[in-house]
Amino acid sequence: MDTIIEILKSVHPEIDYETENGLIDKRIFDSFDVVNIVGELMDEFDIEITAEHMVPENFNSAAAIYKLVQSLEEE
Amino acid sequence: MSFISIDFALFVTAALVVYYIFPGKIRWVALLIASYVFYTWTGFGNLAYILITTVSAYVCAGLMEKKAAEQQKYLSENKEKLTKEEKKSYKAEVKKKQKLILAAGLILNFGILVYLKYADWAIAYINLFRLSRFGRTDFIPFRNYIIPLGISFYTFQTMGYLIDIYYGKYERERNFFKFALFTSFFPQIVQGPISRFGELAPELYKEVSFDFDRIKSGFYRVMWGLFKKLVIADRLAAYVSETIAQRETYKGFYILLAVFFYSMQIYGDFSGGIDVALGVAEMFGIKLAENFNRPFFSKSISEYWSRWHITLGTWFKDYIFYPLSLNKGIIKLGKKCREVGSTLAGKKNPLAGPMTGLGKRIPIYIPMFMVWFTTGMWHGSQNRYVVWGLFNCFFIILGTELEPVSLRIVEKLKLNEAGALMRSYRVIKTFWLMSFLRIFDISKDVPSAFNAFKLIFTDWSSFRLAVVYENLSLEKEDFIVAVIAILVMFIFDLVQRKGSVRERIFRLPVPVQWVILSLLIVAVSVFGYYGPGYDAGSFIYGAF
Repeated sequence: MDTIIEILKSVHPEIDYETENGLIDKRIFDSFDVVNIVGELMDEFDIEITAEHMVPENFNSAAAIYKLVQSLEEE
Repeated sequence: MSFISIDFALFVTAALVVYYIFPGKIRWVALLIASYVFYTWTGFGNLAYILITTVSAYVCAGLMEKKAAEQQKYLSENKEKLTKEEKKSYKAEVKKKQKLILAAGLILNFGILVYLKYADWAIAYINLFRLSRFGRTDFIPFRNYIIPLGISFYTFQTMGYLIDIYYGKYERERNFFKFALFTSFFPQIVQGPISRFGELAPELYKEVSFDFDRIKSGFYRVMWGLFKKLVIADRLAAYVSETIAQRETYKGFYILLAVFFYSMQIYGDFSGGIDVALGVAEMFGIKLAENFNRPFFSKSISEYWSRWHITLGTWFKDYIFYPLSLNKGIIKLGKKCREVGSTLAGKKNPLAGPMTGLGKRIPIYIPMFMVWFTTGMWHGSQNRYVVWGLFNCFFIILGTELEPVSLRIVEKLKLNEAGALMRSYRVIKTFWLMSFLRIFDISKDVPSAFNAFKLIFTDWSSFRLAVVYENLSLEKEDFIVAVIAILVMFIFDLVQRKGSVRERIFRLPVPVQWVILSLLIVAVSVFGYYGPGYDAGSFIYGAF
């Protein structure tokens, strides 16, 4: 989780990722941010994120991203 | 049958009566019948195309689901026997088969769309090539296909559904007739919005009960849409096209005014048409996706595109931008650049920074280029649309790259980025940039567009309002009505910032609500533009 928050902080340091759960819905992240974050996640966790995972529910909060990474690591 | 005709008003009324007479559970059947009656009315030949799309998507979705079900069965039956690697390879095999089915559906449907829309464009280039290379003058004749109404919109909507089924986002619709309603729902078929299955299907198939307030609310929206289309857009259309066509005579401020008016025209035309679509759907108790969110208040081009034609933008984002951004080849290329960047950094090479930066940008800028190229092509089979698309792409990239510089300047000048002054500056800058880019839309080709842009900066002193009134199909009364109507639209958008205008109206005493509605009806009837050369049937986006 700490690594994920670190990655997120590198894009938008001003956000409190412990509490924020509307990163996409509130348009805090735009598609550029999401692509950058996905690239970092794939590098860091050696997982494959594809277009089918690109839904707001997977990126609205640090916890959701963590859940996505976990599920992809298990595959 | 046009949205703006007595025929359409009578058709909607009849469809509403039949719809609410039908038992609640099967009201969707009335909608399906109405949609096919509407579509047949637009041209009997068009039916074949929408049926091919509907049947092929239905079959492909069924085949993909069958493969998924087989996979699930096989994996649960052999849960204990298979190793993790074997399961993974089996899944990959099934995914490959599903991909083939998806590809077949996409190629067939986009193939039809591309062929109908771009055959003549390709023929023109083939003829040119044959002439210049071999001196052949036996030109291939143009096909002059009549493009079926709304083909871009329903093809995009249906192919979005197919891709989502491939991703496993939803379960497919098993009832063919319900699915046929999803592809043909009549209010949105002319010019969108391009809906997603997950949002539209529950709306279409739910049990709707009669609600007078909802019908009244939908009617208000239809009238507001007609106001934007008939009082603003159609009134300005002739001035815009005449000025651009005679730009050598009417240069300078005449063109600038045409550029401004065209922004108002296209917004009134497109968002007005969308208001009609959403209002009609609301009368049937169906909520369609919003397609506009006060785009002229955007502070950057990328923000503008997230507020203008929203459903097309999100379609391109989900089905072109993200898949390309996450394409293995593109990711590898980006990674390679970043690796080279870090190697160069170790050697203290000055190219290290740019190389790393390039690596980060590749997965964004290549897909973005493709999105804008396709967006341009989507608008029409002329080079000017492609150039328009690529200019949009260029300015978005420029805006992104220059953002740190811009912020530094703001800081140095001690300006408040969030303050009214800076926000107004960014809104005005974005509005004019987008308006200037639309010159490609109203010019006949790329050189004419550049010429028109150049001519804006000449001979401002020759501008006379009297010339506009007398020579340019915008008489004094029309000019005054247009300016007042634009102001009304502007105020409406300002008020909308704080929530739905209709909800505010419905909180007022009933007599006041009726006065407002009556004024709207009078405005549309009296000030609606039905001048010479007026074609009530045509919406600009209807041609896309």
